[in-house]
Amino acid sequence: MVEDYITVSKVTDYIIELFRSDSNLKHVLIKGELSNVKLYPSGHLYFTLKDEESQIKGVMFGAKYKLKSKPKSGTKVLIKGKIEVYKNYGNYQLYADEILKDGIGDLHRKFEELKEKLNKEGLFEQDHKKKIPKFPKRIGVVTAANGAAIRDIITTIKRRWPLCEVMLFPSLVQGERAGENIVRQIKRSENFNLDTLIVGRGGGSIEDLWAFNEEIVARAIYMCNTPVISAVGHEIDFTIADFVADLRAPTPTAAAELAVPQFKEIRNDVDQFNSRANLAINKTLNENMARLDNIVSKKLFTSPGEIYAPKEMQLDLTVNRLVHSSKSLIMKNQNRLDLAKSSSVFKNPGSIIKAKKENYLLQFSKLELLNPLNTLKRGYTLAKSEGKVISSSKDLKSGDELEVEFNDGNVNTKVI
Amino acid sequence: MVDENVSFEDNLKELEEIVEKLEKGDVPLDNAIEEFKKAMDLVKACDDKLKDAQDTIAKIVNENGEIVDFDVE
Repeated sequence: MVEDYITVSKVTDYIIELFRSDSNLKHVLIKGELSNVKLYPSGHLYFTLKDEESQIKGVMFGAKYKLKSKPKSGTKVLIKGKIEVYKNYGNYQLYADEILKDGIGDLHRKFEELKEKLNKEGLFEQDHKKKIPKFPKRIGVVTAANGAAIRDIITTIKRRWPLCEVMLFPSLVQGERAGENIVRQIKRSENFNLDTLIVGRGGGSIEDLWAFNEEIVARAIYMCNTPVISAVGHEIDFTIADFVADLRAPTPTAAAELAVPQFKEIRNDVDQFNSRANLAINKTLNENMARLDNIVSKKLFTSPGEIYAPKEMQLDLTVNRLVHSSKSLIMKNQNRLDLAKSSSVFKNPGSIIKAKKENYLLQFSKLELLNPLNTLKRGYTLAKSEGKVISSSKDLKSGDELEVEFNDGNVNTKVI
Repeated sequence: MVDENVSFEDNLKELEEIVEKLEKGDVPLDNAIEEFKKAMDLVKACDDKLKDAQDTIAKIVNENGEIVDFDVE
């Protein structure tokens, strides 16, 4: 009977209901390998999940927003979602809410181990962190030449502080060789006299960012003499590089913002200092002017006479005293002169000469009395031997020659 | 004159210090005028540096050590 036949859509609806009534299919956790991965412009991701024996078609709506990057075919994944029937094709498929890469647990463990090790060694110490120069002239960037990171950094620096030069040291930032490549470029950059070095890349999965979790990269950043800003991935991703860098930026754009000042702010600062300096100097000048006014209004300038009048009086007094004392000195000497003039030496010199003469004659007659020759006149003689006057007989002996002096001549004799 | 070799940062810092000194007002007039002149020189040096601002030069240091312009676009 024709009535016994049902339509395709009816049977599909029935099957849809059957799937929906099974709570096991509402929340499934499935692991497998991705293949035929296609991201549509709508943002939906279509894929096939398979293992050695089976496969299931899958879709993730809005994957563009849910996933950091498009998963590649061949990737082993863990998917959380539900299984429903797609009515148009009548096939069941996996509707994924979350796609995680399998093996991530392993990477997380590695990450924690390395973080612990380097932390113990002191590589994350704040004391070791260098200051980022405020006004850099040259900034180095270690990242991929074709990535969004370098573009974001250059446009940000151009916008904020165009006085700065940017030097790119192109590096692989993903894959097995990325780590050693980054290390090499960090070391090379040291020869270029950089003020700041930005090391990073745009966001991605933990595997994409893995190079920045490698020990060699961490040590290269630690050893780098240029201050390093790490700029890895988007805000939620922390890497070992972030811990060891001198400054951590959540994104390449943020790194550029931290690396250079804002031109407008600095322009404003300079203008502010300019007007503040002018205000301050005007204030100082005004204050000094007021002080000057104050001084000028004082006695010295208004009635200078009052200042020197007492001095003038003192001068008069001194001159007076000087005149007086010199007058009295002259007078005193005049008196002495007058006295000298009135003395007899000048008035009657003859009387002085006469008195002196009389005195002389008196003294002379006294001398006359004492003259031995006068004694001889009276009959005395003088006995001499060898020119000497003999006053004692004891000085003579028999045979000595003796000269006897008389008033009128000498006689030579001999002692018997 | 301001030393050409002194960094923008040092000039700006010195300018700030002088401005703060002048604002305190305890500088003798002669010194204050000297300091003010110095401040104006520093403002000019900073101005000149800021006027100098051109487009950021971006270069790429290639593997062989060659440095070439790096075009963002």
